[in-house]
Amino acid sequence: MTWPSWNLLAQSALSGLFVGSLYGLIGLGLGLSWGLLRTINLAHFAFTFAAAYLCYQLSTQGGFDPLLTLLVIAPLFFVVGAALHWVMTRFEVSPFNSLLLTFGLTAIIEAGIQAIWSADFRRLESSYGQQKFKVGDLFVPVPELITLVMSAGLALALWAVLRHTDLGKSMRAAAQDAPIAAAFGVNQRALGLLLAGTCAALAGVAGVCLSLSFTLAPSQIYTWIGVVFATVMMGGLGTALGPLIAGVVIGVSEALTMAVTAPSWAPIVSFTLLIALLLLRPGKT
Amino acid sequence: MNPNSFWRSAVAAMSLFALAATAQAQAPVRIGSTLALTGPLSATAQIHKLVGEIYVEQLNKRGGLLGRPVEWIVKDDQSKPDLARTLYEQLITADKVDLLMGPYATGAILSAMGVAQRYDKVLVHHTMGVPSLAKYDMQFPAWSLGADPGNTVPNTVFSALAAAGKTPKTVAIVTSKFPSIHFMSLGAREVAKKLGVQEVLFLEWEFGNRDFGPIAARVKDAKPDFVWVGAIGLDGNLLLDAMKKIDYSPPLHFHLYPAPGPMVQSADANGALSVTIFEDHPPFNTPPVAAEFTKTFRERATKANLPETAVDTQAAASFTAWQILEAGVVATKSLDDKAIAAWLKKNKVPTIQGVLRFDGPNNFGDDLMRVKQVQNGRWVVVFPPDVAAPGVKLVTK
Amino acid sequence: MRRTAVVAILAGGALLAMLPLLRLPAFYESILYLALHWIVLATSWNILSGYSGYFSFGHGAFFGAGVYATAVLAGKFDWPFLATLPVAAAVATALGLALGAVVFRVRAVRGELFALLTLAVTFVLATIVLNTSIDGGPGVYLSAVPVPRIAPTQPGTFYLLALAAAVLALLAAYLVQHSKLGVGLFAIHDDEDAAEVMGVPTFRYKLAALAISCALAGLAGGVHAVFISYVTTGEVFSITVPLTVVLMSVLGGTRHWAGPAVGATVITALLYAFTKGDLALTGKATTGAVLIAAILFMPQGIVPRLLQRSPIPRRATARPNAVAAATSRAPAIATPSGAVLLRATGVAKSFAGVQALAGVDIEVRSGEILGLIGPNGSGKSTFINVVSGHYPTSAGSIEFDGREIAGLPAHRIARSGIARTYQIPRPFAHLSVRDNVAAAAMFGGAALSTARARIEAEHWLEFTGLAAKADVLPDALNLHQRKFLELARALASRPRLVLLDEVLCGLNPSEIDEAVGLIRRIRDAGSTVIFVEHVMRAVLALSDRIVVLNHGLLLAEGPAAQVLQRPDVMTAYLGTMHAARA
Repeated sequence: MTWPSWNLLAQSALSGLFVGSLYGLIGLGLGLSWGLLRTINLAHFAFTFAAAYLCYQLSTQGGFDPLLTLLVIAPLFFVVGAALHWVMTRFEVSPFNSLLLTFGLTAIIEAGIQAIWSADFRRLESSYGQQKFKVGDLFVPVPELITLVMSAGLALALWAVLRHTDLGKSMRAAAQDAPIAAAFGVNQRALGLLLAGTCAALAGVAGVCLSLSFTLAPSQIYTWIGVVFATVMMGGLGTALGPLIAGVVIGVSEALTMAVTAPSWAPIVSFTLLIALLLLRPGKT
Repeated sequence: MNPNSFWRSAVAAMSLFALAATAQAQAPVRIGSTLALTGPLSATAQIHKLVGEIYVEQLNKRGGLLGRPVEWIVKDDQSKPDLARTLYEQLITADKVDLLMGPYATGAILSAMGVAQRYDKVLVHHTMGVPSLAKYDMQFPAWSLGADPGNTVPNTVFSALAAAGKTPKTVAIVTSKFPSIHFMSLGAREVAKKLGVQEVLFLEWEFGNRDFGPIAARVKDAKPDFVWVGAIGLDGNLLLDAMKKIDYSPPLHFHLYPAPGPMVQSADANGALSVTIFEDHPPFNTPPVAAEFTKTFRERATKANLPETAVDTQAAASFTAWQILEAGVVATKSLDDKAIAAWLKKNKVPTIQGVLRFDGPNNFGDDLMRVKQVQNGRWVVVFPPDVAAPGVKLVTK
Repeated sequence: MRRTAVVAILAGGALLAMLPLLRLPAFYESILYLALHWIVLATSWNILSGYSGYFSFGHGAFFGAGVYATAVLAGKFDWPFLATLPVAAAVATALGLALGAVVFRVRAVRGELFALLTLAVTFVLATIVLNTSIDGGPGVYLSAVPVPRIAPTQPGTFYLLALAAAVLALLAAYLVQHSKLGVGLFAIHDDEDAAEVMGVPTFRYKLAALAISCALAGLAGGVHAVFISYVTTGEVFSITVPLTVVLMSVLGGTRHWAGPAVGATVITALLYAFTKGDLALTGKATTGAVLIAAILFMPQGIVPRLLQRSPIPRRATARPNAVAAATSRAPAIATPSGAVLLRATGVAKSFAGVQALAGVDIEVRSGEILGLIGPNGSGKSTFINVVSGHYPTSAGSIEFDGREIAGLPAHRIARSGIARTYQIPRPFAHLSVRDNVAAAAMFGGAALSTARARIEAEHWLEFTGLAAKADVLPDALNLHQRKFLELARALASRPRLVLLDEVLCGLNPSEIDEAVGLIRRIRDAGSTVIFVEHVMRAVLALSDRIVVLNHGLLLAEGPAAQVLQRPDVMTAYLGTMHAARA
């Protein structure tokens, strides 16, 4: 095995960084709702793809700039997410039951997507797709850069809100112990709706970024579940920066493996690393 | 006997016979199959549904089979081979269909084949990608891969390059590990070696890989004259995208089974090579049957909002499968599976792909895969010259 | 009671086994095969994840191990199909045990981390299979594997194999649920640490549940390999299996042995109901809608909802009269009064730099009530935690009845006759009050059988005045009752040494009097008591001796009245100024 050039390694690592930031972006909303709202929202993936398809439709048919579609998509999904949360609280759905419920919702959304856009592959050809920068010898394509910026920016923003604002602290308090938080005046209902809406809106953003870089098909919804769940669980539920960091670790380690040996071995490196981390890191108790 | 009553009886008897005969004639011939109408394979399976509907419609307009209308019962196997198997058993043992048609893709076809074998039903199929696994003697392929495509297809591809004076000195072979792709790419390695082409890179990725950046970077680093991409569905596009992002455009590139629509629509795919058994241009679409089919398919695909509305390998293989089945029934004037199978083995069937024979190993006949290329936003066949689009040659950068 | 269900399962299985004789169209055998196949997978998942709460996202790995074991042996080495099945189960079990042996020891890997780890194992296994000669890429072709003629038709044979596996799975799930293993798993589900300290051998039990779960999954995999007759890694290791088994179990009810089977049948029926070509998409959407409706209106799952509405009375729990229970109780093993029962020497415990105990020497004599007092942070609860095995010691030795117990796993310490209560009660939230107490009787020093433990529990509920609340869940109790539940639980294991951690805190004066009387009766019945307390009048009333801790060190020791007068003790509690004024 010949050792690859630094340029190759760097370019590969960059590629892994980009795909990892997408994992993190998709995982951001998923992890927050899992950790802070106790909802395992499988439909998050369906929302992401529905947003991706909407972006595709508005861009190709309506001629809009894909990023502009966010103005429509983010609020739309905010409402959808809040509505879903309202249903969950109204029926007091437990975490595992939420998995089942959102699976049902995913099936419905997938069927809807296929009914409208057919099962065939759709690729959004945007002006961004043609653009790229060069940083030294490395290529930085614009759609991926957009994804990275969105992912990091949103993660940092949410981290700041959760950490430093009263709103964020209230959310975390409510997640840890709802009755006590309520006793301190935290309006858990409203916060829950706000957070759920935000998570779904984040799915919307992820969908737009997805559509910029990837080809879409309805059944693709399921192919992301495994790796994004791993990202979220590895990064820590209910954290804003965790999924991004975990996603990047997974993406970069897989990319470097692909650069150095047979690409089909890539998952083994990232997941063995993950297993080792879980077993060896100091216990939480 | 009173002559009047005789004639009255005779007329009554004849009416009864006529009634019975008409009733028999009206009972439809039922042909059953499954398709992956939902699930990961549905992207391509929907083409087969459309083609089947078109064919059965046209068949019924021509008088059906053996004077009876044809009814196609299609079920959704949800892209699951275990469900496909069960549904074929349902079609045979519960719905009691007269004949079978194959499902979409190798996995489901193998499941169906097992069932067909247990019930001695003939199985014509259109998308079997691994001929060596088709071990049932009453199965017949409509996709003319030939019995040894791992050898013959790469040979065709390299011949095409040679004919255009572009025999590469170095080749990079990158492939997915998807079963029907992998063995073909391994075959390509052998063929390249035999032809003295130096392999500068060999990479395999798992089917479902999302990040093609490192692979693209390694291909670029290896500086091959020719890149063989063993891709199916989205992979080829993702790889081309990744290559574009690092400003790399391979001088010559070949994709095994790309999703044709996305590839032709993408700007970087200009010049991409692939293989096909049929394309919607002369000389393929000149014969009347083909002409009518391609026209009808285009109309219906547009109405169904399918992104790709031209007939290509998938649609053509599907149509061919129906042609084969019809030919067998018409020639033996029966719905008897054994008779149909026996006839098909010994005879040739004219189809839109050409004249097909089924007397090779595992009933595969000639390898009719032609080399096509994306030129100016369309797929055109470039090799062999006798079937190439008029005035078209293989172009390189 | 147990016999009827077992007989019912076996009889049902025998009846269904006649199906191939009906010579129905083979398709029915195949579709029933699919339903039975999913029953095995869902039920096996539930034995670990539903019962113990260790949510596994890696059932696909064990299933896949079974699939490929059979595929390789039958497809590449021409083994007879049936002979590969035990190997398939064994391979999956070995994988599970190897995983469990490592993972279950790591305290931090619970909850979603366990789910993540099992998911990661699936990816790793899939990659290994794809890249080595186990599969290598082309898939394994199994159509040529001869299937023995157990039934008149080939689908019938698979149906019978799956039926046998399903009967095995249901029997296993039923027997586990109604055995000590099941009670232990349910206890682990609610509070693993409390269960361990109570005497449940948590590591062993989790491994046992995992082993059973994997064996069944591997068996199902082995059979399925030849059913689909062409095996590829993409199909076998997809997200479908791990996700679907969870959905099926949650839908049917995870705390009942039949829940996953019901869920599996419903979901298979749904998936199948819409296979007509023109219904494909509507079918998918309808399936989703049905699942949503089901979980909104049946949040515990289908089976619990059905059982709620059934007019048949729930399994009647034995209500023996208290007299019989009292006499059935064997007297506690009595060490001669006055002999040293527990001797702690130089016991130290630090938590990442905080020295909670700094070398403490305490002796407890048999039959005495020893009061353990000291200001907050002095190490009293830590001492209890260390003696009961909740935490390991950092240094020092603890001898109980002459045998060293420091360093033993907590459940062994419990078995040797030590029981404790928690300051903030930690009952098992999903077990009834009676079952909470019965669990202690099963796993503590008494180590009774399930049936006798329930009878024993009745006695202790009477003793602590909770008999009327025997069938409710702990969250229906008030604090006083929950404290007494802690007591009843501690006593049900017939301990020789009872460690009471601030059992009086939060009680009103009359409740305190009641509790004091109870504690005295406990000692009079033969147990030795160490109790940590702040309520001084109770300390004075009950203790034969007291020990005072301060900053992790022994400050004073002796008869209560004397020790409490000592100036250094008062200083420790009240601070220098107040002590000076006293």
